[in-house]
Amino acid sequence: MPRPWWEHALRLDRRLLFVAVALAVAIPVLFPLGLPVVPGKESRDFFAALEQLQPGDVILFSFDYEADSRAEMDPMTRVVWRYCLGRGVRIIALTNYAGGPGVAEPYIELATKQLGQVYGEDVVFLGYNPDYSGTILRLGESFRATFPADQYGRSTADFPLLQRANRYADTKLIVTIAASSLAEYWTIWAHGKYDAKVIAGATAIQAVHLYPYYQTGQVSGFLGGLKGAAELERLAELPGDATRGMDSQTTGHAVIVLFILLGNVAYFAQRRRKS
Amino acid sequence: MSTDLGVWVAAFFTLAIFSSLYRDNPVYRFAESLLVGVSAGYYLVQYAYSALYKKLWIPVVQDQDWGLLFGGLLGLLVLGRLHRRTEWLARFAIAFYVAAWAGYLIPSAMKAQVLEQIAGTWLSPAGSVPLGAAVNEVLLLVGVISILVYFYFSREHVGALGVASRLGITFLMLGFGASFGYTIMGRITLLIGRFQFLFDRWLGIGPSSGGV
Repeated sequence: MPRPWWEHALRLDRRLLFVAVALAVAIPVLFPLGLPVVPGKESRDFFAALEQLQPGDVILFSFDYEADSRAEMDPMTRVVWRYCLGRGVRIIALTNYAGGPGVAEPYIELATKQLGQVYGEDVVFLGYNPDYSGTILRLGESFRATFPADQYGRSTADFPLLQRANRYADTKLIVTIAASSLAEYWTIWAHGKYDAKVIAGATAIQAVHLYPYYQTGQVSGFLGGLKGAAELERLAELPGDATRGMDSQTTGHAVIVLFILLGNVAYFAQRRRKS
Repeated sequence: MSTDLGVWVAAFFTLAIFSSLYRDNPVYRFAESLLVGVSAGYYLVQYAYSALYKKLWIPVVQDQDWGLLFGGLLGLLVLGRLHRRTEWLARFAIAFYVAAWAGYLIPSAMKAQVLEQIAGTWLSPAGSVPLGAAVNEVLLLVGVISILVYFYFSREHVGALGVASRLGITFLMLGFGASFGYTIMGRITLLIGRFQFLFDRWLGIGPSSGGV
């Protein structure tokens, strides 16, 4: 007796699902669909905080992610750095991840070799400090005391940028691009204790946890995952990998939803048959 | 196609990890083991350089900041965990660390995660916000209260308490669903990143946007 369709559906080899999702994601990477990206309020507020910066303002930027999260985080970092440096904003960068220096290097090179920024005057990379809690708290008192030397071993007391800006109060904005709950800790300590203005880019998984802080105004704006990055690219008019990736995001999700629906319909059909 | 050896190595290991989707195999096992080993080695060097050398050796030896030796001693005490006879020594370091963390976190978290969040549920005066925002505020307040009722286990959830509790469960499920949807988006993004790398940087066939 031939099997009913729902039995085939419920016993589908999961490798077929893998292939379907892979094709749904890969094809738009090669052949972009150009689907529209409409920025949400959280992204608009994130961008508004950047727009308010004036030439000569100093921001603190934290690379709170490593290589495993670069797909989601790099597009955000790229737009923030290009937009800020293009407007003459100065950046003091650091990282709370051991793998962060490797992620940050291309952006230091972007600033100094491509965009003509002077290291020590326009941009400084403080490097990595273990113990993010102590780091975030102590930065509120003194950047130079928290990082006596920068990533490259040079004394931070020698940098004009750090003589101008040595604590949160000397900066206009803190930008954290975080793959973990570090964005929450920046909010809790930097904003909560020192009243610093914080905006955050977060992975999609972590973005969920930022909504309560955004709703109360503790975080002035945030980006959620690749969609947030694509929205920022749209707002800043700097299209990149995130905008490209949204086509694949849409088709990938569509395939997943179709399979979920198929599974549910097959399940209820099986239940009705058995009853 | 890329001529960079590093790109080829990365592409090989990307495909090696993907091969596990078909079935478990030695190439995948090798890639996985190499990832664990290289990560452990990298982190060991980073922590040794950033913590031991920059934060302990240089300040103590060059700047005579002897107070930091206390921190170094606590770090050494933690190593007492390695042997059954000395593991009691680690308790001092762990106690100090936990106490310090409690001091850092409890007051700040109480303010940021409790008091300010409670204030965030207060309703704005009537007419002071647009209708959509007002509806959001009411939903937020109802959701918070009903979820808190769900977690109140000192009385049986019957009658009005039962209704509020079931409403709380509904809000919780909606929240978990949204969180799960975001999680899927995050995982798909990682796959997109890998395909962009394979097509753009390895094979050179994608319409690349040019990296940084």
